[in-house]
Amino acid sequence: MSQPKATAIIADDEEPMRDMLRKRLQEAWPELEIVAEAANGIEAIALAGQHQPDIVFLDIRMPGLTGIEAARMLFNRCHIVFITAYDQYAIEAFEQGALDYLLKPVNLERLKTACERLQARLGKTPNNIERQLSQLLQQSGRGPTGSAAQPEYLHWIQAQVGNSLRMISTKEVLFFRADEKYTRVQTAQGEFLIRKTLKELEDELDPNEFWRIHRSTLVRVDAISEVTRDLRGRQMVRVRNSTEELEVSRGNTHLFQQM
Amino acid sequence: MGNRTRSVLSFVGEIGDTASSLWWDFFDWLAQVPLRRLVVTWMLAFLLGLTPVLHPKQVAFFIIGSAGLKILAGGKRKAEIEARKSAAQAGTESLERRLVEAQMSALQAQVEPHFLFNTLALIGQLIETDPPEAAKIHTHLIEYLRATLPQMRSRGNGTLGRQIQMAHSYLAIMQARMKSRLSVSIDVPQELESATFPPMMLQILIENSIKHGLEPKVEGGRIDIRASVNGSVLQVDVQDDGIGFNAYAGDGVGLTNVRERLKLMYGTRAQLLIEQPMDGGCRASICIPFAPDIFAKP
Repeated sequence: MSQPKATAIIADDEEPMRDMLRKRLQEAWPELEIVAEAANGIEAIALAGQHQPDIVFLDIRMPGLTGIEAARMLFNRCHIVFITAYDQYAIEAFEQGALDYLLKPVNLERLKTACERLQARLGKTPNNIERQLSQLLQQSGRGPTGSAAQPEYLHWIQAQVGNSLRMISTKEVLFFRADEKYTRVQTAQGEFLIRKTLKELEDELDPNEFWRIHRSTLVRVDAISEVTRDLRGRQMVRVRNSTEELEVSRGNTHLFQQM
Repeated sequence: MGNRTRSVLSFVGEIGDTASSLWWDFFDWLAQVPLRRLVVTWMLAFLLGLTPVLHPKQVAFFIIGSAGLKILAGGKRKAEIEARKSAAQAGTESLERRLVEAQMSALQAQVEPHFLFNTLALIGQLIETDPPEAAKIHTHLIEYLRATLPQMRSRGNGTLGRQIQMAHSYLAIMQARMKSRLSVSIDVPQELESATFPPMMLQILIENSIKHGLEPKVEGGRIDIRASVNGSVLQVDVQDDGIGFNAYAGDGVGLTNVRERLKLMYGTRAQLLIEQPMDGGCRASICIPFAPDIFAKP
């Protein structure tokens, strides 16, 4: 071979996995020079910039940046090979999108085939895989890692208790009440004061989960046990696990019309 | 002036409320009372009417009025009351059903395939490079699966000691994979190991800590597991110094299941607390009534 030695970087957050891949690569492609190893996505990008390798082996689940996110920043500079032990959605996408990938633990025969493919493509410019990558990224947002999630509703209320922030699941909240400067969060266990205003909460919470029944009250629909009418015709809401009665303002009585 | 009118109005309103509740109490009584007792009441009223205490006219009005009400509205009211009673009963039944369902889904809690495949890959690698270490990880994996797979789950899993043992296996595997990125400390007094503790709860908290707190953190971190008794409350903490908690992240199947099962098993006597200490990370605590299981083998 007259051309200079091919170079590669291995990126995997688990050290034993890097060791294994390095050993296998030495067998499958002895001429390949591993110039660096990265333990996370950010390091992989930095090292790739430094060493300008021909090939980067990227684990998918890594801290910092996932393999797919890292690949998006590297794909037009080098050939990318993904490695994964189990990522159902990714493996499907790899097969459809003709992306190179390896399964852990790496099988020598399979690795040899992958190396042959890479050798054949070495001189050429890397495939443009941007479209496949963005698709993958979208899917992985919904997948178990869920780093790049779509705008979501607020699911946890943070209230200061002593020296720490208590995280209260919105499923535990019975209602919110404006209380002068603060907002009172009522749960079956007790009450907490937070600084977020009712208006802010109303905007951030799932409108199907919480209803604004009064200027100063936001109630969780699932917690409501009954709605009664008092002598003056006001609707009053009762919630489970609390003795408090919550008034429904005139403008919101349509929420509880009889069927 | 305006203030005074308001207070008078609210006083009138108060009287109205009392009167209406008294009226409905009377109405309920009338609807439910057996006819024989109603007739006895009428007789008494009639006798009283003959004495100078009551006016006969009023007594006659009462008797005719209540007879009319009993005939017209009694049946409907009675049906309403019965419907409410059976609804309450149905509520209790649905509570029991929910407990069974929650327990079932906890039993079906699956071993995460990602974890299983990565661990198997690790064992495969270690067989070549470090066989004794491979054997150790292999044993830990078996221990973990024995406690996690529903078909394998044996009796006696319901103690804290058993849950800690399982956590230990899981964390040993994670340490072999994450190496220096994960440090672990478990501080559970020996006398608490026989305490009753529901299965798969501690495990869910630990897996959350690793998955959402420490694995995504570049430099890794530590996880501390502590158990203590405060009066009659057993508290188990899982604390990490990971990337902390995302308030917009969904509640997840795991935490919802823990909360639901605690509520159904212990009512308001148990709690799942999740806190973010000021210096970062996340602390999840389960507080349940302390019950040493004297028959369980630790």
